[in-house]
Amino acid sequence: MMKFPSAKKMTLIAGAVVAINGFFPALWILFTSLKTESELMRLPITIWPAAPTLGNYTRVFVDQPIFLFMWNSFVVAVLSTLLCVTVSALAAYALVRLRIPAPNVILSVLLAVAMFPLISLMVPLFSVMRDLQLLNTWWALIFPYAVLSMPVCTLVLISFFQDIPRDLENAAMIDGCSRIGALWHVVIPLTAPGVFTAGILAFVNAWDEFLLALTLAPRVASRTLPVGITLYQGEFSFPWPIISAALIIAIVPICIIIAVFQERVVGGLTSGGVKG
Amino acid sequence: MTAKLSSLERSERRLGIALLAPAFALLAGVVLYPIFTLIRTSFSENKLTEPWLAKPWIGFENYAKAMGDERLWEATWHTLLYVIVTVPGAVALGLGLALLANQPFRVKWPVRLGLLLPWALPLVFAGLIFRWFFEYQQGLVNNALIWIGLSPVNWLTQEGPAFFAICVAIIWKTSSFAALVLLAGLQTIPKSLYEAAEVDGASKWQQFWEITLPMLKPAIIVALIFRTITAIQTFDIPKAMTDGGPGNATETLAMYIHKTTIDSLDFGYGSTLAVLMFIASAILTSIYLRHTRRDPSAGRH
Repeated sequence: MMKFPSAKKMTLIAGAVVAINGFFPALWILFTSLKTESELMRLPITIWPAAPTLGNYTRVFVDQPIFLFMWNSFVVAVLSTLLCVTVSALAAYALVRLRIPAPNVILSVLLAVAMFPLISLMVPLFSVMRDLQLLNTWWALIFPYAVLSMPVCTLVLISFFQDIPRDLENAAMIDGCSRIGALWHVVIPLTAPGVFTAGILAFVNAWDEFLLALTLAPRVASRTLPVGITLYQGEFSFPWPIISAALIIAIVPICIIIAVFQERVVGGLTSGGVKG
Repeated sequence: MTAKLSSLERSERRLGIALLAPAFALLAGVVLYPIFTLIRTSFSENKLTEPWLAKPWIGFENYAKAMGDERLWEATWHTLLYVIVTVPGAVALGLGLALLANQPFRVKWPVRLGLLLPWALPLVFAGLIFRWFFEYQQGLVNNALIWIGLSPVNWLTQEGPAFFAICVAIIWKTSSFAALVLLAGLQTIPKSLYEAAEVDGASKWQQFWEITLPMLKPAIIVALIFRTITAIQTFDIPKAMTDGGPGNATETLAMYIHKTTIDSLDFGYGSTLAVLMFIASAILTSIYLRHTRRDPSAGRH
């Protein structure tokens, strides 16, 4: 008779399959980035780097302005996140708490407009940004990215605002706080986790975006990481070890973010996503 | 008393409108005004390569041109193929991952990060990584094929294999978001249902078909909708893997629009294509949304 592995072992195998599926491509790129060019040309290919080297990483910094790409990515992601979260939080609060007419209709309109297909929007955005002379500036990306994350941020923040008991705010107002004062002293501290979750999602969205970055900021000095690495100009061909090193450098920041805030990210994605 | 209350209400309403104003101002500037210029431009001849032309109004000429544009129909067909293959593919793989991940692990982070990493990775990086996997000589896939005694394939320079490789990359990258949504759905199914089925002697297989799938239906529909909306706009992964090649064999609508406007600088015709693309995706999305609205529990978990 065939012996089945125990339930405990099965659980372990299931977990390993999920983890390997997720990590393997990034690990393979990490191994590639540690190999020398000559090892990479050898056939059959090796799995582990025979003589691990950091040479490809120094080449990345020497050959390409990768610090500049990273700085562009960072500034654009941070500023668009701040803009998006501020605007979304104000809107979400108004929709949940203040007696405005037809909040559901307003929310639907907001979501429908913000979810206009990016590829259709790219064409006129190029003309508009060109007329405003904003092409190849951070602003060409900051404003569109704030809109890009507006749906998910608004939905996440609405679900957080709904969980705050109205009585708390009323109590603060009876104690002499104004509506804005109650918002500042009572509601904001309580929604800090929600604001933070929305901020992480907006940051990752902005860090990852490619199409608009390619279209609106194509000049080398204004490229973000995804564009800078994809349009890598090699002398002859696509230099895989160096590209791999650049990829690793580019994904380390998001890896840290998702590792530190994993529960928050999962919660935000599923509440914002599933409730859409 | 009532007058005072209504004045309070009125001030609250005014504050509400003031708080909504920044969001709508942003939407007006980034979406509504550009859409207005998009529609206007789609009726004109507007080539940045010919700036001396006065961008003349040419009515529906661009639209007529689009109807007879073979490359547009090919790109539409490719996009549809990506939708047909990668939407069910990603949701099915996501369901598999979610079922595997829905276990009482003692250490939770490896599985959770295994689901989060593909989601957090930029699409275009996933494209680059899979391009490396499918590279002819040094690629992992061909080396594995040789190792088991098969001959290597020119993945990215032939139509069929290139399409296959791109689909694999898209499915891997997008299945993790589906898995996260489905896992959240799985965790809301009450354990007591399975216990009752166990008592009645139902097999694991029966439990999956009779309990898990029906209870998961709303989450599956949400995952399908999200994936469809993004699949229609497929750009990053084929751009990174083949740039539409060989020839235009893997070119999507989004890539064709990008090439027309940004590379060839034909804004009139590019705008027309963008309008057509928006109409097509709006129709597809609304069919989906109508389908889900029939199920009142869909979209809420």
